[in-house]
Amino acid sequence: MTALSATDPAIRIVGLSKRFGDRIVLDDVSFEVAAGEVVAILGASGAGKTTLFRCVTRLAQSDGGQIFLGEHAIRNLGGRQLSIARGEIGLIFQQFNLIRRLSALDNVLVGRLGEVPTWRVMLRRFPQRDRQLALAALDRVGMLPYALQRADILSGGQQQRVAIARALAQQSRFVLADEPVASLDPQSAKSILSILRDIARERMIAVLVSLHQVEFAIQFADRVIGLRAGRMIADRPAAAFAEADHRMIFAT
Amino acid sequence: MRTGDAGVFYPDPARSWIAVAPVRFVATLLLVLLVYGFSIYFVDFDLGRLWSGLPKLAHWAAKAWPPDARELGVLIERAIETVAMAVVGTTIGVIIAAPCCILAARNITPSRLLYTPMRWFLNTLRGIDSFIFALLFVAAVGLGPFAGVLGIGLHSAGTIAKLWSEAIEAVEPGPLEAAALTGANRLKVISYALLPDILPNLTSITLYVWEFNVRSSTVLGVVGAGGIGQELKNSVDLLDFARLFTIILIILAMVTAIDQFSAWLRRRLV
Repeated sequence: MTALSATDPAIRIVGLSKRFGDRIVLDDVSFEVAAGEVVAILGASGAGKTTLFRCVTRLAQSDGGQIFLGEHAIRNLGGRQLSIARGEIGLIFQQFNLIRRLSALDNVLVGRLGEVPTWRVMLRRFPQRDRQLALAALDRVGMLPYALQRADILSGGQQQRVAIARALAQQSRFVLADEPVASLDPQSAKSILSILRDIARERMIAVLVSLHQVEFAIQFADRVIGLRAGRMIADRPAAAFAEADHRMIFAT
Repeated sequence: MRTGDAGVFYPDPARSWIAVAPVRFVATLLLVLLVYGFSIYFVDFDLGRLWSGLPKLAHWAAKAWPPDARELGVLIERAIETVAMAVVGTTIGVIIAAPCCILAARNITPSRLLYTPMRWFLNTLRGIDSFIFALLFVAAVGLGPFAGVLGIGLHSAGTIAKLWSEAIEAVEPGPLEAAALTGANRLKVISYALLPDILPNLTSITLYVWEFNVRSSTVLGVVGAGGIGQELKNSVDLLDFARLFTIILIILAMVTAIDQFSAWLRRRLV
């Protein structure tokens, strides 16, 4: 399985480091994700996966290195520019983070909040173009029949599909998924990961996904990065990922 | 020495001596006795005086029967006035509380600098009873329900804003963060991602405060701030116990009905 080639890497992380006090959480991490490519980060709890994601969205500021999302040099942005850059990142969370009492459709429309004028958001009068985008996104993840169901009555797998639709409606060029299948059963997990892989191909989205199941990483990602105690200890095509890598990443 | 399944003896984990049951029991008992001793001393508790006052109460109770229903129309009108005071007063409270609670909720406040002063301000409003506010407003705007409404409004603003901001602080941060990271501004996040999830909760709090305000409105008349309390005070002043009895019955019926209605509505919301 070869990734569709892109001229420039979409996500480029260069020499990233982050420490909390004396503890080094990320140590000189560098890798790239091309448009249309799915890169999985494997690592035990506490390896630094979540911190890495928080640095990319600037919920945390890294101590050194640089993060490029397309043309945005994330570490140097502030205010309006940061919000524009963030608008291009679709986020998928372990706990889905849907608004419980809103319908699936209304949750997908959250992806349009950045673009729609404030008064329209407050009155819930989204322009037709935005509603069309949201419905198409729901259709893409197979959730169109549930458009008007409240989010909190959907199953975990269905909620995660809605969350992916939210990222699609946002027309993001980058998708960051932090342990997106950690609270799902294996069947739903597989369908979520294959949707992520397919949308990466179709829309040339760069997908960075953290996982802790090696078999999922090998099956659904193009490349696998191993993180252990904040250091990158592997960066291989998924097909070349070996038992030795597995042992290194998860050794105690 | 009895041992567990594995043949190992586990000694009880060591506790500090103050945590040992008898010591703790005696210390608690002494403290409780001390609090009661002081409190009874301060309130001039005297069963003898109650005993000698009982015949007077019995005499009044005898005079209260049968209740005097001649002014029933006027009294019911006053009861409606009381409920109306609670409605308008609570609404004033809601209008003041809405912007305040956003500043006073740690997770969505736009300014850390304003958060603490806002909390103080709300605590002040809440600390002063509607009765005291009403007393001041009667002096400022004159006798009548308007003074009572203003008093209820200010006191309720503090209570509502505090309870609302606590409800806001208890909300899950994930969905808000997800919405904020799409590039949405604060107003969009609050109106779209926060409000739908907590609206039932906020409404329930408001109804509860309203229900409470109906009860507190019944006494506002005592300071001349309108409502059925004014009639109640007149009857006591004139020692007209038959009329007083009617008023108390009306208050009981009104408060019970409002409580039931509000509880029913709140149950349907959640």
